[in-house]
Amino acid sequence: MGRKLLLEKAHVENIRYFDVYRREGGYRSVEKALKSMAPDAVTEEVKKAGLRGRGGAGFPAGMKWSFLAKPEGVPRHLVVNADESEPGTFKDRYLMEFLPHILIEGMIVASFALGSNNSYIYIRGEYWWIVDILEQAIEEARSNGFLGKNILGTGFDCEIYVHRGAGAYICGEETALIESLEGKRGNPRIKPPFPAIKGVWDRPTVVNNVETICAVVPIINEGGDEYAKIGVGKSTGTKLISACGNINKPGVYEIDMTISVEEFIYSDEYCGGIPNGKRLKACIPGGSSVPILPANLLLKTAKGETRMMNYESLSDGGFATGTMMGSGGFIVLDEDQCVVKNTYTLARFYRHESCGQCSPCREGTGWMEKLLLRLEKGQGKMSDIDLLWDIQRKIEGNTICPLGDAAAWPVAAAIRHFRDEFEWHVLNPDEAVKRNYGLAHYADPLEIAATV
Amino acid sequence: MIQFSDNKLKEVEKIVARYPEGRQKSALIPVLHLAQQEFGGWLDVPVMDYVASILKLSPIEVYEVATFYSMFNLKPVGRYMFEVCQTGPCMVRGADDIVSYIGQKLGIKPGQTTEDGMFTLKAVECLGACGYAPMMQMGKHYKEHLTPQRVDEIIEECRKSAATNN
Ligand SMILES: Cc1cc2nc3c(=O)[nH]c(=O)nc-3n(C[C@H](O)[C@H](O)[C@H](O)COP(=O)(O)O)c2cc1C
Ligand code: SF4
Ligand code: FES
Repeated sequence: MGRKLLLEKAHVENIRYFDVYRREGGYRSVEKALKSMAPDAVTEEVKKAGLRGRGGAGFPAGMKWSFLAKPEGVPRHLVVNADESEPGTFKDRYLMEFLPHILIEGMIVASFALGSNNSYIYIRGEYWWIVDILEQAIEEARSNGFLGKNILGTGFDCEIYVHRGAGAYICGEETALIESLEGKRGNPRIKPPFPAIKGVWDRPTVVNNVETICAVVPIINEGGDEYAKIGVGKSTGTKLISACGNINKPGVYEIDMTISVEEFIYSDEYCGGIPNGKRLKACIPGGSSVPILPANLLLKTAKGETRMMNYESLSDGGFATGTMMGSGGFIVLDEDQCVVKNTYTLARFYRHESCGQCSPCREGTGWMEKLLLRLEKGQGKMSDIDLLWDIQRKIEGNTICPLGDAAAWPVAAAIRHFRDEFEWHVLNPDEAVKRNYGLAHYADPLEIAATV
Repeated sequence: MIQFSDNKLKEVEKIVARYPEGRQKSALIPVLHLAQQEFGGWLDVPVMDYVASILKLSPIEVYEVATFYSMFNLKPVGRYMFEVCQTGPCMVRGADDIVSYIGQKLGIKPGQTTEDGMFTLKAVECLGACGYAPMMQMGKHYKEHLTPQRVDEIIEECRKSAATNN
């Protein structure tokens, strides 16, 4: 059993409510930080912990906090990113729905460290019912003296507000989120200036993912050094993985980043294997933006080492033979799934979500969607595959925000690893509409999986 | 006439107060949500103009935003909206079949509303419920682990609740 820091109490009855959460040891980190630590000392602990941003990019949280500008007389803000819209990702929702107080607790401590007296949660509009859960938690925290003026008599004031978006994946990108919080379209800003200098309402702003902020609670309770002892290398602490697709037990799991991918998929503690005795074909382990890997490269790196569920191991081999931890949205595809169709739905997603500011992203995502649909329907040409490759290359690196890259990578990886499946669609148009390509030559390396 | 009730106007005031002085534009998205709920489930131009007037914005600032976000309806919709997720992880678990089943059952295609104005069917992108697929959003809540039987029940529940609330 791995260590659990965030979800340890998730199954305690009524943990959603303040009294139970408090009885189970909640809000200790607020008492400790506000009463016995200086704001910079809190940031120092987060740095020592080696906590990396859990929203996808993995940027060290403590370092981000220390970049926050502190001009005299200008308010600063903490904004929590609860936009969670990357296909495959549903972990922040789990935290907010079942453990809302851990987010509020982490936000109070982080707001204290950053000097934010008014902090915001930007939540995707579709998580409508969760707004009520969060607002109730905020009310409870306030009536118990953990929010409002002069918290616990320490002189620190803090308010938390929930701001509900209205359906736009791009608002998860931090500068688009800031625009949206200002009441505008979610068009990402050109950086620099970075939010740490000029964020919401031109004020210094830190944007962090829900899970990142929740992780501050155990870091302060146990100390940064203790937190850093969990995990391996630069993958410290625990990570939430939302697992979905063709597995027996879809859901949200907390892992300590020392287990193998194989164990994660096949053990009963986690995904519980693949239903109906099917074999593993491929996996997108970190949300739809990260490269898809065929089973053989997923379970073992190109060097033949066991691939582990952590930042370094998942990206071992770069994009040629590796992938990324991303947001922890773990999507499993069994032997019956069509890589072309799956890639098509992702391309459609990115076309739908492009804000339209940059031509390579706006036009390129549309072209990729069209070509993939054509190929999927058995109406494509061989040259379409090369054209797709060409388009994704022209998007990558040529746009204002990383959505362009995020749209390009899944297409590139699908062609890189499953080119024969694309070609099969072109060469066998009649069959392609009737059945899926199946495992084909990926079957052999899969024997490793079958023998687990 | 398009006019929030006094209660709703108080709610608007509370929303505006969350943001710094002079930044009432930040309240736009939350107030548009409120307006959509209050004025028939969609945002007609006069409704957007009204929102502009109470937040002291120019109408174009409101149109710009209303047209950007997928949750704002710019055309009338049915009393119940079934928004079925069709992205990869849901597709893998049979989302396409659920979309066609609902379509057949209600006699509409995605994007259409039933003639009685009761149901709108939409195929949408990832809703953050990929592990509980196939699924759809219906108003404030999600309906997850959908099967044809479950869909039948939901449609029945909607019809019943519409009949009792009329
Ligand atoms: C297109 C796009 C969508 C994103 N969506 C999210 C999201 O839903 N949630 C999130 O926390 N970060 C998202 N990010 C990353 C944010 O820009 C930002 O890096 C993150 O919120 C920082 O928090 P962290 O360091 O705690 O991870 C997205 C980035 C891009 C480019
Ligand atoms: S890359 Fe795409 S989403 Fe990002 S700013 Fe450009 S057009 Fe908008
Ligand atoms: S793919 Fe359907 S909810 Fe995420």
